[in-house]
Amino acid sequence: MTTLTLAKALNEGLRRSMEDDSKVLVMGEDVGKLGGVFRVTDGLQKDFGEDRVIDTPLAESGIIGTAIGLALRGYRPVCEIQFDGFVFPAVNQIITQLAKMPLRSLGALKLPVVVRIPCGGGIGAVEHHSESPEAYFTHTAGLRVVACSNPADGYSMIQEAIRADDPIIFFEPKRRYWDKSEVDLTATGLPLDQARVARPGADITLLAYGPMVKTCLEAAAAAAEDGRDIEVIDLRSLNPLDMGMVAESVKRTGRCVVVHEAPVFTGYGAELAARITEQCFYHLESPVLRVGGFSTPYPPSRLEEYYLPDLDRVLDTVDRAFAY
Amino acid sequence: MTETGATLLHAPRADDDDLARLLLIRHFELALLDLFGRGELNGTTHTCLGQEYVPVALRRLLTEADFVFGNHRGHGHYLARFDDPAGLLAEIMGREGAVCGGVGGSQHILRDRYVSTGVQGESLPVAAGVALHLKRTEPGTLACVFIGDGTWGEGAVYEALNLASLWRLPLLVIVENNGIAQSTPTTRQMAGTVRARAEAFGVRHHGIESSDLSTIRAELAPLVSEVRIEGRPLVAEFATHRLGPHSKGDDTRDPEDVRQARAGDWYRLYGEADPERFARADEAQRAHVDAIVRDVSARPPSRWEP
Repeated sequence: MTTLTLAKALNEGLRRSMEDDSKVLVMGEDVGKLGGVFRVTDGLQKDFGEDRVIDTPLAESGIIGTAIGLALRGYRPVCEIQFDGFVFPAVNQIITQLAKMPLRSLGALKLPVVVRIPCGGGIGAVEHHSESPEAYFTHTAGLRVVACSNPADGYSMIQEAIRADDPIIFFEPKRRYWDKSEVDLTATGLPLDQARVARPGADITLLAYGPMVKTCLEAAAAAAEDGRDIEVIDLRSLNPLDMGMVAESVKRTGRCVVVHEAPVFTGYGAELAARITEQCFYHLESPVLRVGGFSTPYPPSRLEEYYLPDLDRVLDTVDRAFAY
Repeated sequence: MTETGATLLHAPRADDDDLARLLLIRHFELALLDLFGRGELNGTTHTCLGQEYVPVALRRLLTEADFVFGNHRGHGHYLARFDDPAGLLAEIMGREGAVCGGVGGSQHILRDRYVSTGVQGESLPVAAGVALHLKRTEPGTLACVFIGDGTWGEGAVYEALNLASLWRLPLLVIVENNGIAQSTPTTRQMAGTVRARAEAFGVRHHGIESSDLSTIRAELAPLVSEVRIEGRPLVAEFATHRLGPHSKGDDTRDPEDVRQARAGDWYRLYGEADPERFARADEAQRAHVDAIVRDVSARPPSRWEP
């Protein structure tokens, strides 16, 4: 076992993928000499050369478009979008080409492109640097959408994503980049589309992904002191969704709260609430409740503590679920 | 363009007003870096150290009726337009008296006919739209948009240039070509030249090597006048230098490149040309900015009441 930060674990995963397959390319703004603004690609250009780790112009649409062309020719490009808020210029290419081309060919055409996006807030950043745009992509048929929450998953999930033949939007919780934990560099992780029980519990199910998994674990630890036994599920894959694990857990606990940073209104939690209602209706002791951001643009850094779900907001919502 | 960028044919001159504005921006940017160092500022900032003379030179070529679009490196753009360092600092620090109530921050300022955004290239189509409106409703005014060399990677630039040329828009595109896009040298991210790209759309291009305000104004005045009167868009490209990092701690340049940039710094050139007057003005602006920093730092948080 090795102790790694999430950023370093992703770096190691990318390195391993590049060693294993010469078709893997890394491209993006400042990913080369600088190693990316979060240093996730640190040292890769030095070790794999400028042909495989490519500093691009500031052209998100062009980056994804070029990656699509490279994938058409058999490469496996891993594109870094520097910050969540910069992905929007690329959305045209992602939705119009990347998601649809393989479907238009009825799956005959593979586009193994991974789009890495540092996501979420909590680092005191400026506008465009703290967003949670996952629902735009989960809404788009033809894309797989995943989110890692810890170093071990970062290491294995990035390799799984690069190995997969589908276009994948890969979210990395930027405020957890510096969190450390043990990583087994020899282990094979879970399949990419499987959720994970981050903490078993009997009384209520918390569903989270990316940055909010840690927040939910902290909330569960606090609630345990009051004798409440919370189960935390790290979804890992948002599309496809591991509904089997979700339904099994909610049927067992009878209560469910969904937690994400993105605004609650038509957020990813709405889909979860709808599906759980459909599949677990007779087991539910209370409605599925949601904790998330507000329907405003992401606020200035001095206000983000009010915007981001924290331990108190999660526990208040858990209390509401038990009040029914 | 020469290797060293801002070269001078003669000793630069600036009147007291220009000199004060140049030095105000210089000391404002230095103060921001100092505040960051002390943990007084959040997020990030992009200082225009080395490029201050560009918006100051343009100041007297623009009128209040013109629109100005700043970018991510925009403190100088704002301070050249408005004598309001306290309002800008309050905006960046989220304190009372902030230009936009503290919700815009360093990169997103909206005041009268001044708009900035940090997203590369996004302003160009917007500026083209404003220019179309100005052409129809306020002939003789223009939309001026500041971009960098890195911005030319964004497709929105070309969509806007096409429209500006096609529709004969009064659009003035100021390119601050500092030779580096964040950490990637322009030579590693731009094929061809800005001139050829502009000309491909039938847009006139003018390159400026000097950091002397009077030289710049003499070169640009007739061209800007044509933008206004004939609706002939212009790309004016300044060969300039960024003295500091892109934001903070991300300067990967060869130290020799940075040394060369500093050798061509207008601050040094103006200082050498008129040492005594320069030193007095420099000290005055340093003290002015110090006082603003003390004042704004002591203010309560800003309130945003739409």
